[in-house]
Amino acid sequence: MSKRVFVHPEPQEGEPARWRSLEERNKSPEFRSRAEREFLDGAASFDPVDRRAFLSLMGASFALAGLGLAGCREPRQHTLPYARTPEMTIPGVPTFFATSFPGELANQPVLVETHSRRPTKVEGNPSHPASGTASSKLAQASILDLYDPDRATVSVGTDGAALTAAQVRDRLAALGKSLAATGGAGLAFLARPSTSPTRARLVAALRARFPKAIWAEHTPVDQASGDRAVGPGIRALPNFAAARRVVSLDADFLGSGDAQVEATRAYASARRADTAEQAKGMVRLYVAESLFTLTGAAADHRLPLATSAIPALALHLLDQVRRQLGQPSVGELPALDIDPAWVRECAADLVANRGASLVVAGAHLPAAAHGCVQAINDLLEAVGRTLEYVRTDAAPAAGLRDLALARPSALVILGGNPAYDAPADAGLADVLGAAKTLVRVGLHGPEHDDTSAAVRARGGLFVASTHYLESWSDGRALDGTYLPVQPMIAPLYDGVAELEVLALLAGESADALGLVRATFEGIARAVGRDASAAAFDAWLAEGVLPGTAFPRALAGTVSSPAAPAAPALSRASLEVRLVPSVHAGDGSFGNNAWLLEQPDPMSKTCWENVVLVSPALAKALEIEPEPMLINRLGQLNRNINQVEAGKLTCRVVRVTLGGRTVEGPALILPGLAKWTLGLQLGFGRKAVGRSGARVTERLSENRIVGVGFDAYPLASAAAPLGAAGAALELTGESVVVANSQDHWSMEGRDLVREGSAEEFAKNPAFAARLGLDGHLPSPLGTGKDAAAPLAAAAVSTPRGNSAYEHPDHAVPPNVAVWQGRADAPVPQQWGMSIDLNTCTGCNACVTACQAENNIPVVGRSQILKGRDMRWIRLDRYFFDGREQAGMEIPENPQVTFLGVACQHCENAPCESVCPVNATVHDEEGLNTMAYNRCVGTRYCANNCPFKVRRFNYLDYNDRQIGRFYEGPLGPKGMAETLKMQKNPDVTVRMRGVMEKCTYCVQRIQEAKIQAKVRAGASGDTKIRDGALQVACQQACPAGAIEFGDITEAGSRVAKAKASPRTYGLLTYLNVRPRTTYQAKLRNPNPRMPGASAAPLSRLELAGREGVHPAPAHGGKGH
Amino acid sequence: MLRRLLDFLNQPARRGNPFPRWSNAAPAKILAFLALTGALLVAAINHYATNEYLNVGYTPDQPVAFDHGFHSGVLGLDCRYCHTHVEKSPHSNVPSTGTCWNCHSVVKKDSPALQPVRDSIATGEPIRWVKVHKVPDYVYFPHSVHVSRGISCVECHGRVDQMEVVGQQKSLSMSFCLDCHRNPEKAIRPLDKVTDLAWKAPSPEAQREMGAKFVHDWKVLPPQSCSGCHR
Repeated sequence: MSKRVFVHPEPQEGEPARWRSLEERNKSPEFRSRAEREFLDGAASFDPVDRRAFLSLMGASFALAGLGLAGCREPRQHTLPYARTPEMTIPGVPTFFATSFPGELANQPVLVETHSRRPTKVEGNPSHPASGTASSKLAQASILDLYDPDRATVSVGTDGAALTAAQVRDRLAALGKSLAATGGAGLAFLARPSTSPTRARLVAALRARFPKAIWAEHTPVDQASGDRAVGPGIRALPNFAAARRVVSLDADFLGSGDAQVEATRAYASARRADTAEQAKGMVRLYVAESLFTLTGAAADHRLPLATSAIPALALHLLDQVRRQLGQPSVGELPALDIDPAWVRECAADLVANRGASLVVAGAHLPAAAHGCVQAINDLLEAVGRTLEYVRTDAAPAAGLRDLALARPSALVILGGNPAYDAPADAGLADVLGAAKTLVRVGLHGPEHDDTSAAVRARGGLFVASTHYLESWSDGRALDGTYLPVQPMIAPLYDGVAELEVLALLAGESADALGLVRATFEGIARAVGRDASAAAFDAWLAEGVLPGTAFPRALAGTVSSPAAPAAPALSRASLEVRLVPSVHAGDGSFGNNAWLLEQPDPMSKTCWENVVLVSPALAKALEIEPEPMLINRLGQLNRNINQVEAGKLTCRVVRVTLGGRTVEGPALILPGLAKWTLGLQLGFGRKAVGRSGARVTERLSENRIVGVGFDAYPLASAAAPLGAAGAALELTGESVVVANSQDHWSMEGRDLVREGSAEEFAKNPAFAARLGLDGHLPSPLGTGKDAAAPLAAAAVSTPRGNSAYEHPDHAVPPNVAVWQGRADAPVPQQWGMSIDLNTCTGCNACVTACQAENNIPVVGRSQILKGRDMRWIRLDRYFFDGREQAGMEIPENPQVTFLGVACQHCENAPCESVCPVNATVHDEEGLNTMAYNRCVGTRYCANNCPFKVRRFNYLDYNDRQIGRFYEGPLGPKGMAETLKMQKNPDVTVRMRGVMEKCTYCVQRIQEAKIQAKVRAGASGDTKIRDGALQVACQQACPAGAIEFGDITEAGSRVAKAKASPRTYGLLTYLNVRPRTTYQAKLRNPNPRMPGASAAPLSRLELAGREGVHPAPAHGGKGH
Repeated sequence: MLRRLLDFLNQPARRGNPFPRWSNAAPAKILAFLALTGALLVAAINHYATNEYLNVGYTPDQPVAFDHGFHSGVLGLDCRYCHTHVEKSPHSNVPSTGTCWNCHSVVKKDSPALQPVRDSIATGEPIRWVKVHKVPDYVYFPHSVHVSRGISCVECHGRVDQMEVVGQQKSLSMSFCLDCHRNPEKAIRPLDKVTDLAWKAPSPEAQREMGAKFVHDWKVLPPQSCSGCHR
């Protein structure tokens, strides 16, 4: 057969239906020229130092090197063994301890990997079935906070002198004694909500000792307010796994909150569809929301609707459900400006699936909305099936308002950061001013924390606290299961744990372990379990105490559901939503560089927050993009978000709500409700560590940017998470916003493949027929290889029509004994399968990969140059579907995420261009990278069709962010504490080498070594399926990633790859990727308004197939 | 100067051939010189810039004059008495001071040579042993899989049981590793002889035969690609 040349599809007339950014969608010539290059402009230049300066520096450093050339041997190194080895310690073998990541609503059960008692990685605890091995990105990133070099190292006394922990303990005990004399009159505590039963016990002890004191709790983003609306002490536990129809009213259960991991896991199990039968029973998700969340991205039907109109929608839905069940209407309904068919058909679907349907509402919604939702769920017979009400042990606490009224003379602030995140009108400043005695317990000192700074400014006592990975405590999982929090490491600094502070003030023994043990005994006895010391140890080892879930409760009925009328929104009266940012949460993670650098899944911004505005609002604002050059198709383009040289330039807007004003860059995000503004919290702290600091960078003459803006001024005590009635104006300025959106674009080839559940049931193999692949002969050629099963194809040569020669994996190379023997052991062949149908784009894999593989943080200015280092790129594709001419940005696109890391191509194009053989294949099918061989030509990255290779342009691991360019004169070496986080099993890469996903080769090698050590004379050296998990797979809450031996029949990954939905990326290039994907299924309700039988992405594919019909007799010879 | 050269070239006899006679041999001489210099350079780098030259024989002084030859060779302590985790861990641990103390709290407890040991036990500060055998940071050498699959300590560390002060005997270069990974049957030995550093197969043929059988029965397949040791 003659060699054929495949031409990438040409852009067609009209708009493309798939795009990753507005610039891409509008096909600006600027974008086009950028997309055609591998590296962004400036990515390969060394701009702060010009060539001349560089050469003079080099000369100087050579001279220095000559002076320092003392000898050729490496420097003398020492080995420092323990004086006495601690129990259970084997140097070089990690130990895993169970603990839990504290949350405000629920703790997350985790295992922590420690190397010689040095925690390096957080994993999910499989002993807790609801979360399994999965963990959230926050739990993963929390380990970096332990090693935060900006943490307070000492406590500071009222006189400003440093205090040791022992001195702090004495002062706290004395303070407790003096306050007890008056019964705690004028004493108040302000803390974050916690799930710890020990803390609750200590709070009770404090109330007993100080009957007149106030215990107040404050959190800027209250996750329990929805539950409180149902009843005091009640928690609604949705069971998504049992649901077939779910309606989410502004609830981002897949994207945020302490319940995210468990909800995603359960939802994914209901969404999994490997067979046509399962596809029919797949859950269908309806979402009405004002912003574009991950839950909205997962929706089958999504309605952009202002948050202030959601209660009205809830009442409309309730009314429809009642009427369709033959019950009387709820009465007069508030006006709602949506298609009534949406509510009608949605209700009909819910009613038809009574007992398997569920409605959930966002915690930020008013009580009325929760009342309606509760009533709907009652009517749908959800309780006991898809929903459970439980009674928690939460004790009531006062709030900021009570503090402001009481004006305490002594105030103890535990954790949190109220000086930053409390609403301005909550009166906290007055409270702080009025208090004579101030005690602040926190991880960060006055230089790096707003509240610590405020307390120290008034001469208060600052107590350096301990991180959860170095303290004793406890907590409860979402369902109430009792979890330990145990220290992995002795406190790095001389800190006092929060529980100890409370115990000292309460006049109890400050032995946190003893306190937790006492709580354990109480809880274990209460449920009739063994409360002995051995049982305590077993609980610590297991990490969960079974049988301690909260008891079921009845929620009662809603007598007269009602909903306020939605305020009229317009250009002049906008709605503000304050949401925790992906990067810094509510500010708690404001100095966590892993999270700060993580792209927001939807907006793809890094290192800063933005004001999200809808396309309609942008138009109304006359954010009139400048006309650009005429594009290839002869259309006049406009530069919507003003991308210049790969840098996203946003207009700065001023948002005013209730007389309070903030300014920030406005990012146009399709899919937002028309008049809703999304402001992300957690940035703009006045006192924060080095990562979150407002480092002003001068990028060019008129572009000065900082790291984010503070959105909290818009919060008020009455409406802490936003309200309607905001005004917005342009300030006339523009700033550059760091984003990873258009880095390494793939130009909309057939990468994401989608079908509907119905189509899948009829034609299971639809995915393989889509795009170019469907019209091409198999990459294995047309002979017998084309039909070869996966297991055989993985180890066989020849590989299709590739001229590239491969190591023949069936024959071990170069081992004398095995040569020519038929019984030679065949190496296992690794492969991965990613199920796009369950992937929600939550970023857990990205963070887990960063923690496992020592991936450096590069900082904002490097991101702007396209030098992102993370190995997993989570591509976000918008699907437009409608043919729209001109400049219209669609109001409600579909979204699909595609996680792309190295595909480990069997015919890897990167390998054939490496001049030094630094990247080669191993006998197990891994595309390996030998860092010590790499000379940094970057040819491999240029030749990679997936653009997944990352280059260390600068010494990211050995230099500090912002000081990369200081040459030999700048400070070298990372902070000592950050070194402790590094995984000792993975090389820390230096400047000038290429890196990329290794399929966690260190885990594969470790598993192989263990299998071989265990095998002994049996010769059974194979790694068992399931014994090896790669970091992303382990962390994925959706269980979307499978990894293992693809030649082993019955292995999970082989089964996943055998799914009819399996397809590969760019397989027509004959690269034979080892990572394959399973097509996404959408499950639309054909009766819904705006329903499209096929996913919107398919409309474009249909067009493309028309342009590129299947060649009848092969291509032209060449 | 220039004029003299021009005069020289303008001699009637030199017209048409400006080069003197001796220049006929010059290219060959230059080539020979360059070749010799090149060869010397290559040979020098080959000799001096290798682990063989730089590292073999490295025998640093240790803070405690621990005599492996006496403890292991004369007293007959098994390697694993002190290097306890060598079968379980990638590292063969240097023993904690507590291990020394097991015996030396009783034996020779007042010896001045043991002062650092007593200090370490008293203060909890580790003894600063000097590292002798080391591979680069980008190399991950797991001890456990080697010793539990028939590779003796002696293959990389030499006859430690005869060393008063431990020094490096093998180059530990990549080719040193690969030699064995390609021909494991030449080094492999029965599992119970792994820490018997003096053991040798009765004959090279017997070694090869026994080794080949071991490699076959235990399915020994040492990695030879980058990922085996570099991660």
